[in-house]
Amino acid sequence: MDKPPNHRLPEDRLAFFGRVGADVSHDMRNTLSIIGEYAGLLDDLMTMAEQGKFPDYAKLKGLSAKITQQVKNGTQSMERFSRFAHATDEPATSCDLTALVENTAALAQRRVALAGCRLQVQLPDRSLPVKADPSILQQAVFSAIELMLQLQEADASLTVKIVAETPAAVITISGPDAVAGSQWSEQLSGLQAMMKDLQGSIEAERTSGTCLLTLKVPTQ
Amino acid sequence: MANEKVLLVDDEREFVEVLSERMGARGVDVDTAASGVEAVDKARQGPYDAIILDLAMPGMDGLETLKHLLDISPDLQVILLTGYATVQKGIEAIKLGAMDFLEKPAEIQRLIEKIQQAKANRLMLVEKQSEERIKNILESKGW
Repeated sequence: MDKPPNHRLPEDRLAFFGRVGADVSHDMRNTLSIIGEYAGLLDDLMTMAEQGKFPDYAKLKGLSAKITQQVKNGTQSMERFSRFAHATDEPATSCDLTALVENTAALAQRRVALAGCRLQVQLPDRSLPVKADPSILQQAVFSAIELMLQLQEADASLTVKIVAETPAAVITISGPDAVAGSQWSEQLSGLQAMMKDLQGSIEAERTSGTCLLTLKVPTQ
Repeated sequence: MANEKVLLVDDEREFVEVLSERMGARGVDVDTAASGVEAVDKARQGPYDAIILDLAMPGMDGLETLKHLLDISPDLQVILLTGYATVQKGIEAIKLGAMDFLEKPAEIQRLIEKIQQAKANRLMLVEKQSEERIKNILESKGW
């Protein structure tokens, strides 16, 4: 049986960064492919124009707008990945929980989509300072979402919420509980160790076909 | 010669739309599917000279779809076109019976050449099967 992940081990930390990096690189390839095809189509239309076929100006303008949108999507994706990567720049003991959860949930969207599910995020409209190493906290939030996905069938909807409280900020991840995950409890214990290192905690409540993960992170 | 008939399978709607248009402009007759399940349904109604298949899709992924497609017909020419390429996935796909494995973004001319090769492969297999059938008939009749 595989050992549960241990965020303290370099190989498990690296595996986490690798998973996120792979997801982002896949998204970027898709974005670049779409831009490449639009550019190719533009070229095709220009060739037709050179052959005397009157170009569809509305279509050309539309293509330009589509390329711009894809560049925007790609830029946003890279900005998110940059924030994720820079969380490890130097040892940090505090961060903005709202921004971190928003960024981490966005990075997890590809995994959620591949599982055929949806992820809704409900955040406060202000920053929420917490006392936590952001590189470990983002791993905890991402891993908690991955853990929830193991319990889902296709078309399920998960919700990530932040409830600001003192002395701890509370993140909840809720959704249906449809599948018995055989390694779930081992992975949960890995998450519990991670949250303990952050001076926080995680609890799981599985009742009547629903699951609720509650992560508590100390606030300043 | 009749146009090549292709099934393009990818959950990225914009990618499918623009690639279909460009392939259509080059004389390829393109059908599309947004999921593995839809691809298998359409493949049953076939025939297609080639199936261009993405690897990472929600629900049934590309490799699972490939297995189902080849269960329908082991002679199907399936070309994987994916942004989720690793050497391991490529080897696995070829071992399962894919004709080829390309990474996104791929030059359209290269893709068209692969499609033409797929059509040639399929015609060769169809001819070989016809020859086998004729041979069996002749043998059964003792001619």
